[in-house]
Order: sequence, then C-alpha cells, then structure tokens
Amino acid sequence: MKEHDAIITVNHLNLHYGEHHALKEIEVGFARHKVTALIGPSGCGKSTLLRCLNRMNDLVENVRIEGEVRFEGTDIYAPEVDVVEIRKQIGMVFQRPNPFPKSIYENVAYGPRVHGVRDRSTLDAVVEKSLRDAALWDEVKDRLDAPAFSLSGGQQQRLCIARTLAVEPEVVLMDEPCSALDPIATAKIEALIEELKTRYTVIIVTHNMQQAARASDYTGFMYLGELVEFGDTPQVFEAPREELTERYITGRFG
Amino acid sequence: MPEITHPGTGSTRLRALKEQGVRSVWFLAASFATLTVFFILLFLLQDALPLFATVSPLEFLTGDTWNPTGAVPSYGIWPLIVGTLLVTLGAMVIAVPLGIGSAVCLAELAPPRVKAVAKPAIELLAGIPSVVYGFFGLIILTDWLRVAFDVPSGESWLAGSILLGVMALPTIISVSEDALNSVPASYREGSLALGATRWQTISRVLVPSALSGITAAVILGMGRAIGETMAVIMVTGNAAIIPDPITNLLSPIRTLTGTLGIEMGEVAVGSTHYHALFGVAVVLLLITLTVNLAALWIMKRIRAGYGTEEQGRHRLRVPGLQRKARLIVGIVLALLVLLILPLPAAAALLVLGAGAVLVHRRLSRANVQHLAFALLWASLGVVLAVLAVILGYIVVNGLPAITWEFLTQPPRDLGRAGGIFPAIVGTLYLVGGAILFALPIGIGAAVYLSEYTRGGRVTTAIRAGIDLLNGTPSIVFGLFGFTFLVIFLNFGVSLIAGMITLGLMILPTIIRTTEEALKSVPASVREGSLALGATRWQTIRRVVLPPAVPGILTGTILSIGRAAGETAPILFTAAVFSTRFLPNSLDDPVMALPYHLFILATTVPGAETQQYGTALVLLVLVVGIYAVAIALRHHSQKKIHW
Amino acid sequence: MKTTRTTFLAGCILALLVGAALFTGCIGNGDGPSQPPEARESISVTGSTTVLPIAQLTADLFMDTHPKTEIQVSGGGSSVGIQAVGGGTADIGMASRDLKDAEKTKFPDLVQHIVALDGIALIVHPSNTVGALTTAEVKAIYQGETTNWKEVGGPDETIVVVGRDSASGTREFFHDSVMEKEDFIATQLEKNSNGAVQQTVAQTPGAIGYVGLGYLDESVKAVNIEVNGTQVEPSVATVTSGQYPIARSLNMFTDGEPTGLTKEYLDFILSPDGQMIVEEEGFVPVQ
Repeated sequence: MKEHDAIITVNHLNLHYGEHHALKEIEVGFARHKVTALIGPSGCGKSTLLRCLNRMNDLVENVRIEGEVRFEGTDIYAPEVDVVEIRKQIGMVFQRPNPFPKSIYENVAYGPRVHGVRDRSTLDAVVEKSLRDAALWDEVKDRLDAPAFSLSGGQQQRLCIARTLAVEPEVVLMDEPCSALDPIATAKIEALIEELKTRYTVIIVTHNMQQAARASDYTGFMYLGELVEFGDTPQVFEAPREELTERYITGRFG
Repeated sequence: MPEITHPGTGSTRLRALKEQGVRSVWFLAASFATLTVFFILLFLLQDALPLFATVSPLEFLTGDTWNPTGAVPSYGIWPLIVGTLLVTLGAMVIAVPLGIGSAVCLAELAPPRVKAVAKPAIELLAGIPSVVYGFFGLIILTDWLRVAFDVPSGESWLAGSILLGVMALPTIISVSEDALNSVPASYREGSLALGATRWQTISRVLVPSALSGITAAVILGMGRAIGETMAVIMVTGNAAIIPDPITNLLSPIRTLTGTLGIEMGEVAVGSTHYHALFGVAVVLLLITLTVNLAALWIMKRIRAGYGTEEQGRHRLRVPGLQRKARLIVGIVLALLVLLILPLPAAAALLVLGAGAVLVHRRLSRANVQHLAFALLWASLGVVLAVLAVILGYIVVNGLPAITWEFLTQPPRDLGRAGGIFPAIVGTLYLVGGAILFALPIGIGAAVYLSEYTRGGRVTTAIRAGIDLLNGTPSIVFGLFGFTFLVIFLNFGVSLIAGMITLGLMILPTIIRTTEEALKSVPASVREGSLALGATRWQTIRRVVLPPAVPGILTGTILSIGRAAGETAPILFTAAVFSTRFLPNSLDDPVMALPYHLFILATTVPGAETQQYGTALVLLVLVVGIYAVAIALRHHSQKKIHW
Repeated sequence: MKTTRTTFLAGCILALLVGAALFTGCIGNGDGPSQPPEARESISVTGSTTVLPIAQLTADLFMDTHPKTEIQVSGGGSSVGIQAVGGGTADIGMASRDLKDAEKTKFPDLVQHIVALDGIALIVHPSNTVGALTTAEVKAIYQGETTNWKEVGGPDETIVVVGRDSASGTREFFHDSVMEKEDFIATQLEKNSNGAVQQTVAQTPGAIGYVGLGYLDESVKAVNIEVNGTQVEPSVATVTSGQYPIARSLNMFTDGEPTGLTKEYLDFILSPDGQMIVEEEGFVPVQ
C-alpha cells in the first residue's frame, strides 16, 4: 500500500500507553502534495498516529513507541534526530484553535522568530504571506495588533493554520481542525485545504466522512489501533475492500 | 400566564425570607474584613496623630535622624523608610530570579518524581516560623558574612536581604508554579508543533502567558518581605542610618517593622515616642497598601494587555508602543542597578547582561536551551540546598534537647531546665481560638463574594479590604491588638486578645483559599442544581460547598501553620514568658512556642540547648501542620476531576 | 463516593486538631496542683525583660512554698509593665527604668519598689587585648570619636559599636550615666536585648557592647572600668560597695501600696531568700 512518492512512510509502528496497546503494526505511506484523510471511530488511534508523525507524543507520559517513521527517508525516532527540526518541517493544527495570548501579528511571527528571523521587514512579509495563504489576511489586515482571542473560532483556526504555514513546513498535520467550528467556517477551512495541497502535504484526521470524501485524495480507515484499509479516497468510499470499512462508511456500525 | 406557585404561598415567602437572611449574614461576614481594615487604620491614626503636635508631618517623613531618646529627640523616619525599601529590594533581587527559575524548573523540567519531593519541600520552607529564620540568621548567616567579606560585623543590609529573600521564596515559587500550571497545555503543544525548542516555548509562550500570576507571586513575596519583623530585627543591625554610600550592602540598616518590634515594648505609653511609633506603623501600612494596589493595577494591565479569552472584544493598540515601553523599562532597570550597586559590580552586571544577549545570538538554539536549563536546575538546587541547611542545622542541634520531660513539663529556671509543655499547649490554644474566630467569618465572606455577587462598588470595596488586610504586616496586627484589644477594650495581655489578633491575621488567607475552592466548582454544577428548582442557598450548601471542602481545609490548615509560627502579633497581646499552669480562662496570658524561642534566644543566657529544642518543636509542629495540608491537597487533587 | 470520604477524613483531622487543643487544656488543668483552679489566688507580673528573670525565679520559689498561689510573669518591656499596672491589667509592673514624666502624669498612684541593682558591664570579644577603659574612653567610642581599638591600646581593628535599641531602659541609663546625655554614633548596631548584644559581641572580634552583669560568661570578656587610676572589675561585690560606677536600679511598680498576695510576693523578693536569687542571677542585692 506504500506510495512510491511518499514523503512520510510508517513501518511496523506500535505504540503503548502504559498497558494499552494503542497503535498496532501500522504500515502506511503518505503521498507528497496530496491530502490524506484518516477516519475511524473515537479512540481508534487516528489522532495518536497523527501525533506520532511529528513526535508530539513525546510529551505524553508513559508512552512507548516501537517501529519507525521515516520522513524523507530519515527515521524521525532515531536518537540523533533533532525533534525541533522535525516539527519545524512537519507542522500541526490542533482540534481546538490554540492561538497564543499574543497579538495576531505576534502569533504568526512566533514561528519565524523562534527559528531566528529578526529582521522586521522579513517578518512583515512572512506574516502577510501566511495570513494570505490561510485566507485570513483581508479580515485582519487592519488589526494585526489586536489580541488573537478577539477573533472568532473559525478565524482563530485559520490563524493557527497561518501560524503553521509561516514556518514553511513540508507537511501540515491537521487533527480534526473543524470539529469546533460551525459549517461556514468549516467550508472555508476545507477550501483552504484544497489550496494548500499544491504546495504542502496535508494529513488530516476527521470524524466527518463527507469532509474526508470531499477534501482528500487518499483515505485511511482505522479501527481499534489498526489501519484497516488505506487507498484512493473514491475507492475507499465507493468500493471498500474491507467489510468493516463499508459498515463504518455506511453508518451501519457496531 | 399561568401562575407558578408551590403548595402554599406562605412557604414560598418563608423561603425567600430565609434566602435573604442567609445572604445578609454572608454579606456581614464579608464586610467584616473591610471594617477591620478601617478600624486598624483608625486606631493607628488615632494614636499617631498627637505626634504632629510636636513634629510636623514633613519633618517626620523626611527627617534623617531617628533618635527619640536623644538629649534633643528627633523623629525622622526617612532612614527607616529607605532601610525598608533597600532590604526589600535586595530580597527581591535574590528571590525573584531564584524563585521564578525554580518555579519554571518545577513546572516544566522536573520529572514527576523530583517534583513530588521538591514541591512539598519548598512549601515546607514557607512553614518555617520567621523567628526560626531570624535565629538561624543571627547565629549562622551574619557570622558567615562577617568572615566571608572580612567586615567587622555581618549584621547588615545584605544579611537582611538574604534572609528575607529566602523567606519570600516559597511564596514566589508556589504561586508562580501554579500560574505556569494553569497555562493551557494547548499553548505548549502549539509552540512545540511549530518547531520551537522547549526553552523557546517556555520563555516566549508559557512564561508570558503566566505573567499575571507570576507578578502576583512576586508582589505577594514582596509583601511578606516588607512586613517581616522578627527575622529582620535579629540580622540587620538595626542602626537607623542610610547606608553610606547608598550602595554599601554591608552597612547595618533598620526597617520600619524592626523599629516597631524593638521599641514598642519599652516605650512609655502616651509619650511622643509612642505616638511616633504609631506614625511608623501608619507609614508601614500605607507602603504595603501602595504595593498591593500597584500589584492589582499591574495585573489588571497585564491581563488586559493580551486580551484573555473571556474578553472577546479587541482593543486597538498603537504599534511600537510596546517596544517603547520595553525600552523605557530596560533603561529604568539599568539606572536602578547603577544606583544601587557599587560601580564595579554594576558595570560587571551590565557587561554580563550584554554578554548574555550576544551569546544568546551566537549560540545555537540547542546550546541556549542547555544553558538555560542548567540555570533553572541550579536555581532549584540552590533553593533546596538552603532548605536542607536550615532544617539540618536546627534538627541536629535541637534533637539532643528533646526528652520526655522537655515535652511534658513546665519550664524551670527561666527555661534553662524543665520543658515547654505550657508553650505547646498555649500555641494550640491560640491557634484553635484564632481558627474558631476566623473560620466562620472567612467562609461566610468567601461564599458571599463567590456566590452572591457579580461586581459592583460594594463588592469592590470588600475585595479591596480583604486584599489590604492580606498585605498588612503582622506587626501592625500586633500593634492594633495592643492598642485596641489590650488597652482600649482593657482585655489586658490575654489569650482572647491573642486569639482575635491572630484570627484577624489569618482571615484573608481563609477567605482567599475558600473563594478559590468555590470558584473551582464549575458553573455547570450550579446551573444544574438551580435548574432543578433548588434555591441559591440550597445549591451552595448541597452542591457547591461539599466538593470545595478539601480546598477550604487546605487554606485553613495553611493558616493554622502561619498562626502557630507568628511571634509579632502575640508579642504585645497574649504571650507570657513563663507560667507554671495552663490558662483556665480567656483572660489569662499564655506561653507560646515562638515567643518562648524569641525570649530564650534574646534574653536568657545559658539556654542554648533549649533554644534549639524549642525551635525544633515549633518547626515540627508547623511543618507537621503544613504537611497535613499538602497531603490533603494532593489527595483531593487526585480524586476530583471535573 | 471517594470525595465524600476525603471530606470526611479531612473533617476528622480538623476536629481532632481542635479537639486535641481543648482536650490538652482539660488534662493540663487536671495535671496541675490538686486544687481546683478557682482555689488558687493569682497575681500577674509583667514588664521589663531585664527584671523578668528575678521575677520568674522568685515566683517559682514563692509558689513552691505557697501552693495555693499563682504568679504569672510575662515580658514585653518596661512600658508594657507600667501601662499594665497603671491600667489595672497587671498587679505588678516591672521596669528597668524610672517613670517618665508622661507616665507620672498618667498614673500618679504608682509606687516604686527597688528590687535589685544592675551593674552594666562593657564587654568585648574574648580575643581583644584591651583590659580596661575609662568612662571617658567608653563615651568616645560610643560617640564615634574613637573608631579603632589601637587608639585605646588594643589591636589594630575597627571598633564595632553594639548598643541597645532606643526604647531600652538599659540604653537610657547608659545614655545618662556614661554618655552624659550626648548622642550615640548613628552606625551603632542596635539590639533589642542583653542576650542579643552578648551574642553579637561573642561572635564579632571588633565589637564592644554593654550588658547586665548576669550576661557575663566565658563567651565574652568584661572590660574593667578605670576610676581615678584604679581598675574596677564589674561584679556584684564592686557594685554593692559602690566602687563600680555604672549601675542602676531595677524596679517593680504597684498601683498604690501593695496588699495581700502582691505584698507577700514583694516582701519575699526583698527577703534574704529572694535576694539570694537576685545575686545568683548576676544582679546586685539591695538588702
């Protein structure tokens, strides 16, 4: 099931939270400049898998990870790898918008700043570009110094996307980015994802099957820590190979 | 519209009446704190005003000689004000970096196992009574300074600052750590996901987000330093001079609190000197009030500054203003450093600072992080080492004194023989009484503030009153107790006077912690109960209060610890050096451990073993009480998940 | 429910604490002398911490021989004592100084009882080679005119002047008798008790301080005072004989002439037994 032009490949990935075996023998490749959706019921491990891809699970206590995750051929779990560098290249947008308690400008400039950009005009350019890319520029260009919390939920989420883009990652991981948003904001984000895939690899976890069907090129279905099925989105939705997948997609689950 | 009635409108009215009654009671409790502040100020002022018949207020404030018993008495408190400010400033220079460093280390770096040991240990540091600190400072610290700096005497500004810094540390660390812990985990994740290092995340997102809490911590610590009496008396030398040059850290110095603690007992009641001391108390109170108000203002500004989530509307800000403000703060700080420190030291510091900035730009991010983490660990290490040294010293020297007789017998031969049983019991009495006095009022006030109000002027006044009461130095409580309870109400030096004085002192702590506990009960729980038709008071009593009990208890126990270790408030109100019998009425004075230690250390020659023994018993008692509180909190934190 | 149990547990602990406090009280009363508390006649003595040792030790002895009495002794300072006895909250006020004018006006009925004399000794660090000083030299040191020990025949070392706080009776007396009412050097370290002065001098090689005779021990060295060319050692004998120049009276005040237990107790202090204690504590008997 591995793509030839995979930017990230996962081999024999197993993850334990204490006694709980949360990811079982995951084998998958994520295609460059495509949108891949991970679907499955709550607790199936899709978010956990996503967080393995930029080592956010390092923050969790009591976690044990085996197997390998290769980004551009490098095992990101190898001891000599700088986790900070990995996260710089593989950005992440979270379920709930989590802007910092700073101004809109400072939120977007944060990433470049921590990566050593000091020049004001460069920062200005990056901020504008990222906000434009996140389709937020027109809404906020007059109040860049306003606190990020003054934005609506959908705007905050696009701000978080802009913040991620400002670091110029290769891959953008999205963990149910629309679950806290209303349908209009959701539509905007989906449109944005479509835009993004021309330059970025997007991996998105979602509960919303229409969203997966609409927005993604590839879809993986996970269940109880296993990757049950992975393939082209039309194939997975129209002609699933596994019965489990079909039952989930058609809503006849359990 | 259909009329909604319960069977019998009478019961409805009765219920409304009861609700109103309950509310009024809590309102009275809440107002009590504010009234107390007024009362304290009033009584202090009343005793201070006659001074201005002989000395003009300007002369009093700006006069540079404090010599009330000279051939020509002079009552200038300028050196005392300067002394107070310098000692506090020095303490903050020591405590703020160490405290925040340790807090960050505990909150972000320390593995759970280290944290589980270090955090309670540091909180225990807060439980060490100030007279024990003073005792340690007098015997160890000043002597060490004398030898280390090769000066004639180690009793100095520096000694006072070090000691006060150490005393302010636990407050700064625990409050800062709480503030850091309350920063949402999503900020951390968000920053790390952008490829920021842990240190960048800490320094650029987490600490700025917790800034208002950290500021509160620093101010609280500062309040403790300004108001501290007993420890300061023992180590600063108490010479009423302005250091010459003003940067001379090794000069003796005298604070406002020190002046009160030393002179109040011997001054003739009604003399000009007596009134001058009340003037000193008023000035001290005003300084602490100013600090508190400034703190509130700063925190408000900080909160408004980044527009918290509740504050939905944005405020336009002039770009670049922040930069200018930062520049100004920087310049002011640099000037302050130049002013305070001797020139070479200041130059060295500035060079170091500039160097740090340069190095910061040169070093790779990973190395900056290594350096920063090393510094953080070092600060935690220093704090724990200080704790270990103080505890170790007192335990090692005090253990030989502990015998069955020492714990169960009254003192003989001025405390050189026999035991300290009446002092142990007296301390328990004082604390018990203080709690009985403060707990109902405190809980009532907290319930009113957290459940019945949504702001408004009266509430603001009450809150301000509580904040001010919280910032009032313990010696001022002592003075108030002396002038109001002992003299005005003619209680005499008695158990009841001490209980009320201590009760007033711990009241704000109880109100604060209770309010916090009530606030941590989610609004949805209240709504759930109200939606079922329960009245407000029913909701509070059955749904809100029960889960808040552990929090309230923690607050209560912490204040028990504080009350048990305090000397200044009972110095003039309740303590007696020695009684053979236990008090049999509230009018009797009692022995108390901190006072006993104070007298043994300062007045009775040849009782060294008993000094250490008393210090150890007091330490064990207070630390024991704190340990219970910490264990309780730990327990309740584990059990309650909203 | 776990929470309830926590609550209960916590409640128990608190109840235990309060209970313990009250209970100890009951036990304690029962443990005391077998009479019920009401049967004890009690007086309270409060005030100067300098006089406190005399009051406490004589009270202990007095209570041993008069089991139905209780004498409560507390410190706080001379003015607390005078205020307390004048205001009626104590039966006897102790003071290491005479009444101030303000106090005389406020409490005209106070009666002074001198219970002992207190010699004030000049003390230095044991390593200091200076053996004797004249009162003029002491005054010069405390005025800040003499700043190095070599000026008075000692080692080349800066003098650290240690004194008492400005409210202290000892300092006032020193101020009157040695300083002749002239001001102290502003940089003197001010201590709020004899013990603190002794402690500081004992650990500071360059220090000089003044304390009551009772505070002399091997940790400090008492300096002889040179009077008309002869050195006088500070001691009970030299104060009694009047040779040692720096001595003051220690007082107890009553509101009007003492009666009852108060009188018995004061008489006891002035009796040979009482004065023996005075001498044992390093003070000078008056009888």
